[in-house]
Amino acid sequence: MLRVFLILAAVAGIAAAGWLVWDRLRAPIATPIADFSAPFVFGRFSVPPDNPLTQEAFALGRHLFYDPMLSGNNQVSCATCHVQALGFTDGRAKSPSLSGGELDFSSMSLANLLWGQERFFWDGRATSLEMQALMPIQHPDEMGQDIDDLMAELRASGTYRKMFRRAYGEVSPENTANALATFMRMLISADSKYDKYLRGEVRLTAQEEHGRKLFMAHPDTKISLRGGNCIDCHSQFLTSGFRDALDGFSNNGLDPDESLPDGLMAVTGNPAHKGFFKVPTLRNIAVTAPYMHDGRFETLEDVMAHYNDGIVVSDTLSPLILEADNAPEAGQGTVGLRMTSEEMKAIIAFLHTLTDDTFLANPLFSNPFDGGS
Amino acid sequence: MRRVLGILAIAVVIIGWFALSPGQKKSTPVTLTFHAEMGGEPLVYDQFVYDNPGGAGQFRVRDFRFYLSNLSFGQGDQTFAEPNSYHLLRFDNADKTHSITLPEVPLASIDTVRFLIGVDPAANTSIEVRGDLDPNSQMAWNWEVGYKFVVFEGALQVGQEVSPLVYHVGFSENAREVAFSLPADVLTEANGQIHLTVDPAKLFDGSARIDMQTLPSVKFNRTDAEILANNYAAMITPAF
Repeated sequence: MLRVFLILAAVAGIAAAGWLVWDRLRAPIATPIADFSAPFVFGRFSVPPDNPLTQEAFALGRHLFYDPMLSGNNQVSCATCHVQALGFTDGRAKSPSLSGGELDFSSMSLANLLWGQERFFWDGRATSLEMQALMPIQHPDEMGQDIDDLMAELRASGTYRKMFRRAYGEVSPENTANALATFMRMLISADSKYDKYLRGEVRLTAQEEHGRKLFMAHPDTKISLRGGNCIDCHSQFLTSGFRDALDGFSNNGLDPDESLPDGLMAVTGNPAHKGFFKVPTLRNIAVTAPYMHDGRFETLEDVMAHYNDGIVVSDTLSPLILEADNAPEAGQGTVGLRMTSEEMKAIIAFLHTLTDDTFLANPLFSNPFDGGS
Repeated sequence: MRRVLGILAIAVVIIGWFALSPGQKKSTPVTLTFHAEMGGEPLVYDQFVYDNPGGAGQFRVRDFRFYLSNLSFGQGDQTFAEPNSYHLLRFDNADKTHSITLPEVPLASIDTVRFLIGVDPAANTSIEVRGDLDPNSQMAWNWEVGYKFVVFEGALQVGQEVSPLVYHVGFSENAREVAFSLPADVLTEANGQIHLTVDPAKLFDGSARIDMQTLPSVKFNRTDAEILANNYAAMITPAF
């Protein structure tokens, strides 16, 4: 009897060990994400062939995104500065720096990153999301993490070893970046009132529709066409900057030549790019205050006031901004759109139709350590 | 028996010769290379080096791009039209050139080339993404108006005054056809390479000469747009 039991136990033990070895040695079993949808008006998108969208990569990326283990002091996660309810911004002009003080730029919102510019950060210094993902982690003032130390921490966790194995294979900086990029790519916002309007499901109010028309028009006093000129930088459906080449970067008249920051010029070395910054998506813009790369404007009203009569002229200022004026007679010392207050309110009403409450509360994008899975 | 085999062998050789010999050429590779030039030199961006064609001052170019569509090739009464033929030509690169390559135009040779500067009416009023048409790009005015066909942006300097120049020309009626014949042997001698010159200055110096100070922008005014369209109809010339 004892002998039978021992034999059975030995067989069970060998089977368990064999399964464990097999589970560790076999190739990742990642499941392609096949069923996500996006409005056709968003246009084409591409995913790097060496980092396909998979369920396992998304799950891993989501855990990493919310895990303070990714920072040197284990207190800062990506989500510290990218809060879902705020369109993945942090509500501050500039996020606090680890060494005290504040960072150079405002936290960028994360939505629909599959479309629009293929450069990331306000100055476009990253040319892919995979490249972008590891930069804040290692930045001494952002998350201050040594990448080798992080790999050691992740390898020490059985949960992460298993998640990496299923998604990619090994725990590595490259796969960490791949997983975070996958999570960010899947942050798709396509259920705002504007999307429903584009799908023919709802009507805009008269004020929102007035704002939409102004958003989409470059003013032309010669034919009495009034416009808010937004579309010259923010594409009509995505509302992000343009995808081609460096079309999605612009100088929107915030500073004079004497104090104009380098912006894109720091990356390209081209003086014609001085003061150019990434044109952000306007999706969820009503919840992502404060505004601009340095968070200088607290409200959408402040932003409209800037474009209406607060443009600061510099050499690289967009001629489309400098030229756009709704008043036929020459201005009196100010540069801007010179719209009426009703027109500005209408544009702001339209901007509110870009808020996507489904996206902002989607449980798939939430913190998996808060009882989620 | 031996005789039959001999005849068979000869037949195989003859049939094989016809089947495998390089008969009539079935397709032709073509590359159209457009060179942006002003004053006979490659286009210079972002510097006040060009004279206002119709008035005082110098201008600089920040952006110049246009749609070329419905590219087709002819040989006698045969024609081949490139499917989904919508190309955005931009020249902000080291060579100031833009190339369109068709590795296999299914014609034995080519003696005529045709295309539109602009977009045909059906595609211009659609939000479908095809070729380089993209309703989320800088070339889209919006889905109610269509695409900008030709974009020219920059600034004019007169004395110490610098003012913006914005020329966005669209509207379906402003597409202009360009057609030219290829002299015999040009294609074979150049290995399928066709070179063309694009002169942005022609926008302002053609059937009408434009003073940029008087007309610093063209957008939705249809009369102004047509004047520029009649000018840009002649901005592309083959360079053999």
